[in-house]
Amino acid sequence: MAIACPIDLDTRKLHDEIQSIYARVAEDPTGDFHFHRGPDYAAQFLGYDRSALAALPRQSTASFAGVANPHLMGPIGKGAVVIDIGCGAGMDLLLAAKSVGPRGRAIGVDMTEAMAEKARSSALMAGLRNVEVRIGDAMSLPLEDASADIVISNGVLNLTPDKSVAYGEAFRILKPGGRFLYADIVVGAELSESIRRDVDLWTG
Amino acid sequence: MEILRGIGFQDVELRRRFDPFRATTKEAVARKFGVIGVNVYARKPN
Repeated sequence: MAIACPIDLDTRKLHDEIQSIYARVAEDPTGDFHFHRGPDYAAQFLGYDRSALAALPRQSTASFAGVANPHLMGPIGKGAVVIDIGCGAGMDLLLAAKSVGPRGRAIGVDMTEAMAEKARSSALMAGLRNVEVRIGDAMSLPLEDASADIVISNGVLNLTPDKSVAYGEAFRILKPGGRFLYADIVVGAELSESIRRDVDLWTG
Repeated sequence: MEILRGIGFQDVELRRRFDPFRATTKEAVARKFGVIGVNVYARKPN
């Protein structure tokens, strides 16, 4: 079940709170958060390949805070253009960059500068020259129409106040026939209005 | 899933479930509201 955002939710406050939390994750992923982070969590809870994660720069995997695993939904072919919405420190982005190879491209978008910088430097450390990271928001992606073969995202779109706009952006940037491999949380119960107005819960 | 289909995506499918809040401080809240992680596949029509 997708969560509908109340029309009077303070979306600016939500945006700022999300940026603040994930900037803290980027700066100190070992800090006190109510969600798991890191490569051990990714391997144990989400089925990521431990050896593939061990081959990535530690700084890109330590801040990982995804909630599922888009890489389990079929191969990302050589030469493809992959967009990672909300790439964070770049763990999924770098895995995608390795899958597409030197003739493909992996473009990450994140609204948190600290995360984007970690993703950029991680790509350099990994020797991946087919990676680009842009600052941007899932609600207004800095990408051209029909420019992607595959769009991935992991634990990000649930943070957006209007899912239909965010999904619409993914649709816009995909080429015809392109795949949207979307990993996120869903809620199985109807939420009260007071809960849906609580910015602290949206950011968790 | 309905939102994805409404936008125009095809072959929308929930592929796999995960339990990302297990052993976190929010586990009880996640259980109460049935919050889980999912992989969702969708394709833009040709």
